[in-house]
Amino acid sequence: MDKLNNPEYYYNRELSWLLFNERILGEARDRTNPLFERLKFLSITASNLDEFFMIRVASIRDMVNAGYSRPDIAGLTPVKQLQELTSAIHKQVELQYSTLNKVLLPRLSEAGIRLILQHEDLTDKQKKYVDDYFMSEVYPVLTPMAVDSSRPFPLIRNKALNIGALLSKKSGARGLVQTAEKRKKTNKDSYEFVTVQVPGGLPRIIMLPYEKDEETQSIILLEEIIERNIGKLFLNYNIVCAYPFRVMRNADLSIDEDEAADLLKEIEKQLKQRQWGDVIRLEVADDIDEKMLKLLKEEFDCSEEELYRIQGPLDLTFLMKLYGLPGHEDLKCAPFIPQIVENLTPERDIFAEIRKEDILLHHPYQTFQPVVDFIRQAASDPGVLAIKQTLYRVSGNSPIIQALARAAENGKQVTVLVELKARFDEENNIVWAKMLEKAGCHVIYGIVGLKTHCKITLVVRREEEGIRRYVHLGTGNYNDQTAKLYTDLGLLTCADTIGEDATAVFNMLSGYSEPLSWHRLVMAPLWLKDRFLFLINRERDNALQGRKAKITAKFNSLVDQDIIRALYEASQAGVSIDLIVRGICCLRAGIPGVSETITVRSIVGMFLEHSRIYYFENAGSPEIYLSSADWMPRNLERRVELLFPIDSVPLQKRIIHILDVMLRDNVKAQVMQSDGTYKRPDKRGKEAVGCQQCFCEESVSTSKRRKVEAMRLFIPEMHEDE
Amino acid sequence: MAKLFAAIDVGSYEVGMKIMEMSRKEGMKEIDYIRHRIELGTDTYNTGKISLERADELCETLLRFKAIMEEYRVDDYKAYGTSAIRETENKLIVLEQIKLRTGLDVEILSNSEQRFLHYKAVASKSEIFSRIMDKVSLLLDVGGGSIQLSLFENNALVTTQNIRLGILRIRDSMSDFASRSTVYEELLLELIDNQLDSFKRLYLDDGKKKIESIVIIDDYVSHVIQRYNKNQLVMAEELMRFVDIARTKSDEYITRLVGLTEESASLLIPSIVLLESVFLMTGATSLWAPGVSLADGIAYEYAMEHRFVTAGHDFENDALECSKRMAERYQSNIPRNELVERVAVDIFRCTRKLHGMGKRELLLLRIAAILNDCGRFVTLDGAAEASYGIIMASEIIGLSHAERLIVASIVRYNKVDFEYYTEMVKRTLIERPDYLRLVKLCAIFRLADGLCRSFRVKIQGIRAALKDQNLILTVDTDENISLERRFFRRKSDFFTEVFSVEVTIKQNKRNIAI
Repeated sequence: MDKLNNPEYYYNRELSWLLFNERILGEARDRTNPLFERLKFLSITASNLDEFFMIRVASIRDMVNAGYSRPDIAGLTPVKQLQELTSAIHKQVELQYSTLNKVLLPRLSEAGIRLILQHEDLTDKQKKYVDDYFMSEVYPVLTPMAVDSSRPFPLIRNKALNIGALLSKKSGARGLVQTAEKRKKTNKDSYEFVTVQVPGGLPRIIMLPYEKDEETQSIILLEEIIERNIGKLFLNYNIVCAYPFRVMRNADLSIDEDEAADLLKEIEKQLKQRQWGDVIRLEVADDIDEKMLKLLKEEFDCSEEELYRIQGPLDLTFLMKLYGLPGHEDLKCAPFIPQIVENLTPERDIFAEIRKEDILLHHPYQTFQPVVDFIRQAASDPGVLAIKQTLYRVSGNSPIIQALARAAENGKQVTVLVELKARFDEENNIVWAKMLEKAGCHVIYGIVGLKTHCKITLVVRREEEGIRRYVHLGTGNYNDQTAKLYTDLGLLTCADTIGEDATAVFNMLSGYSEPLSWHRLVMAPLWLKDRFLFLINRERDNALQGRKAKITAKFNSLVDQDIIRALYEASQAGVSIDLIVRGICCLRAGIPGVSETITVRSIVGMFLEHSRIYYFENAGSPEIYLSSADWMPRNLERRVELLFPIDSVPLQKRIIHILDVMLRDNVKAQVMQSDGTYKRPDKRGKEAVGCQQCFCEESVSTSKRRKVEAMRLFIPEMHEDE
Repeated sequence: MAKLFAAIDVGSYEVGMKIMEMSRKEGMKEIDYIRHRIELGTDTYNTGKISLERADELCETLLRFKAIMEEYRVDDYKAYGTSAIRETENKLIVLEQIKLRTGLDVEILSNSEQRFLHYKAVASKSEIFSRIMDKVSLLLDVGGGSIQLSLFENNALVTTQNIRLGILRIRDSMSDFASRSTVYEELLLELIDNQLDSFKRLYLDDGKKKIESIVIIDDYVSHVIQRYNKNQLVMAEELMRFVDIARTKSDEYITRLVGLTEESASLLIPSIVLLESVFLMTGATSLWAPGVSLADGIAYEYAMEHRFVTAGHDFENDALECSKRMAERYQSNIPRNELVERVAVDIFRCTRKLHGMGKRELLLLRIAAILNDCGRFVTLDGAAEASYGIIMASEIIGLSHAERLIVASIVRYNKVDFEYYTEMVKRTLIERPDYLRLVKLCAIFRLADGLCRSFRVKIQGIRAALKDQNLILTVDTDENISLERRFFRRKSDFFTEVFSVEVTIKQNKRNIAI
């Protein structure tokens, strides 16, 4: 048994995450993707990396600082992890910029868009334009800050782009500060350092007017315009040099909930503090002046490893803005319109439809509208007594929030569990939590110490035959905007067993005792891990006894060691295991004698793969579950999550089909090799299958077929007197 | 449309509320069960009072319950407090606070009422109930303050005893040992065994009477059994295996094993040891844990009252059986008492128009007849007072405290001069409506007792006719009843005073012996 603890059988989670980001970068490098989509993928890798720094790298840095030296499951100590990560990240950043400079920018230029990287390259006309732009739009909002003995180094905001400059005094002019002048007398070579933040409120991309007879649209970045005009901020000085820089700080938000009397206030307080953590990455332009670099490194207490010399514009997230520029539709994928689901149009009685049969929704192929309608109809339905919902990340101006508020105004009992701790989303959450409270909803903030990650809505309705409960359970957030981009599954049901369990879930979330027993739902952190282990072990035992045994699971990350061990044991017993893991995967596939029967593939496509599906063969009577949880310790041990079964046979068939198509994907899937790297499957002689494309087509054709069927219906014309 | 009913139970360590849907067609269906842990009992049993903080928490919880009731738009509710509230010195203040802050009326249940509701909750699971109660079985009802042991034979309740061995009480009284002693469980076992010993001697024929099954009502062992065993039945060996595990492993391990919170573990262990003792005492072979709670009983009673369900079990018979066993134990004159009972029932039925009382009062009258001379076991002089004392000190399952007081008072005032309300209330705190019931029942009972004055008389039947404010009782007997007539006159004065009718006795000799 202990053999399975061998670190060689596991992959470090951070390095595995980097591989995932590399797969996204692969999409940016994939020639078959339209150019603007490639820019978007590159932008995503950059924002992903920012978040990764703030949370994960910061966390490992903390461990190193604290002298923590326990190795992870892959046998790496924090020091070693940091070393390997740093070197891998440096490589990835290089790849990001070579992709940009060598591949994407030339293509962009071919497509008629020229990004002017250096303001020196501007034409005279363009120079005049940007200088005017600077004076009218930019200058008024800039706050230059000087550094000298009387003014300490200013606090540089996390993630913000800044321009640093070294100044020398013009002869005869007075210095910024007297003390500085005095100092200069003693040291002729010394310069003054100033810094100015590139305002986040202004557009980063500025379109330049067309040159005569030219069809190319030139664009320039805001920081270049500021750099060019920085002299206007310090009139009595010569600008020796000016370069952009950016810092990333430790932003791991850990709240001691036991001590926080009021969770809400505590998070508000923490938010203000977040920007001032330790600097863990300093990004500077590759050609930065060495004097300035020295100064920055000293100020930010930054080592050589933490320094990133960037060969191009800092902070590539501007590419997302570029993607959003109007026009150039030929360089983007045609936007997919989520399809309307039969019988679930807004004017239909959704409760009647749910009573007929369970409904499975597959987003974004199918529209999220039925979920919004479910709550909207409940809000105005006279029979509805109560609506209870968990909200994790919702969109701004969310129709769900509006419907909940209206339900409360209509006298329904509305209970909303708001998870304040959704990463980087706290500020947003607090705003609408307060709004819901104002509308008369009962807002609860979950169980102390546990993030509520499950997605569940319960509508209690008093009907002729008695109380009936309608439940929506999902794998993704109640966010109508991300539902257009994330692939998720949702179930609408009024099964008594699930209704009773849903009631119990909300009772527990409201702080009441757990129920004496559960019918169908399995909840983390109390029972979910045990249940998964049980389900995996049952397959193992079935395989040992010669029965049919198979596991197919699709989720976002696999980190939990107990689960991985159980999977290895099942594999050793001969269970065929196919895993579709979008992101981190600490399990290694194909190790002889350990994981030979396990395959791991990752799908990175236009939509973010987000659904979690778990299929267990169970000796020929398959059990299929959906969940909000990944196989990560944080999901299984530190969060409130739900696992729910799909019992209806037609719905089971649909899910089996979904899994099957995903396993056949040879366009967007990459398969883990025994050395831990990922490769695209060999397409030779095989039909090209892209699962997302396939699901899009399927949903459109189903929808069309239904429209045609509806048109074929003969509706006799009625006269008024009939 | 189905009705929604909320049953609230303010218990010793938990406040719970069940929302039940009731309809004639579907019977009862549980919609929601909300529980909040609050150890009111810890305050009451240790200090005699519920502290300000706990009272405040209780009000907050009930206020939230009320919001849930409004959410479901419940049609009716019943809220009951049990031993923690019952035994607290400041109960009226606490109840008033609850009323003022939440608008909820919480009534206090006497122990016997509470146990009776538990018992009804078990009976609501009619199928297994009748199968188990058919044999010799023991119902172990574990509360925070005390336990209740009820013995069943042939589908009827034989006896029921309350023992102050509640798990909260055990845990708190042993808390000094828990942290220090490695033999905590053994000490617990010893403590419990000592207390169970008297029950064994008195009711189990010192262990000779064999019990087949134990039925348990509690919040911990039942939870464990329900979790692992959907049909709720466990054999003794299986149970003992679990007991062995529980005794050797840490609290933390056990709670993880059975899926309870750690704070519950401190109460699970005393529950297990208690159950083990009861098994050792009875030699039972199986355990049934129906997993019901007081709230189920409250709901079941309400459903029966409002005819949403019909009882599959005769609960009144339990009270009668229980009284008969008591009468046997106190060596009553059973043939005479049976005669008094029969005559009293006849008079009650014949004079229904006069007194307007129902089934429940008839039951009280019958129990009074069965127990009317139990005090003679103690003393012949002043037997009425002694009977009163015995009845008041005994558990008669199914009777409320107020009803028990009526029964005891019927027996008492049959012999001693009746007291008017202002006098009586000084010694018994009897409520006005109960006093009026007592007056009428006592008047009837006196008539019946008077008619059976001579122990040898055989009355075969009795008929009553009301004519012009005159009640004519025609007694079918061939024997000389002149002694009865004399006593009867004295006894009928009270009846006349109560109902404003004269009573005349007529003899109908059907088989005149020559």
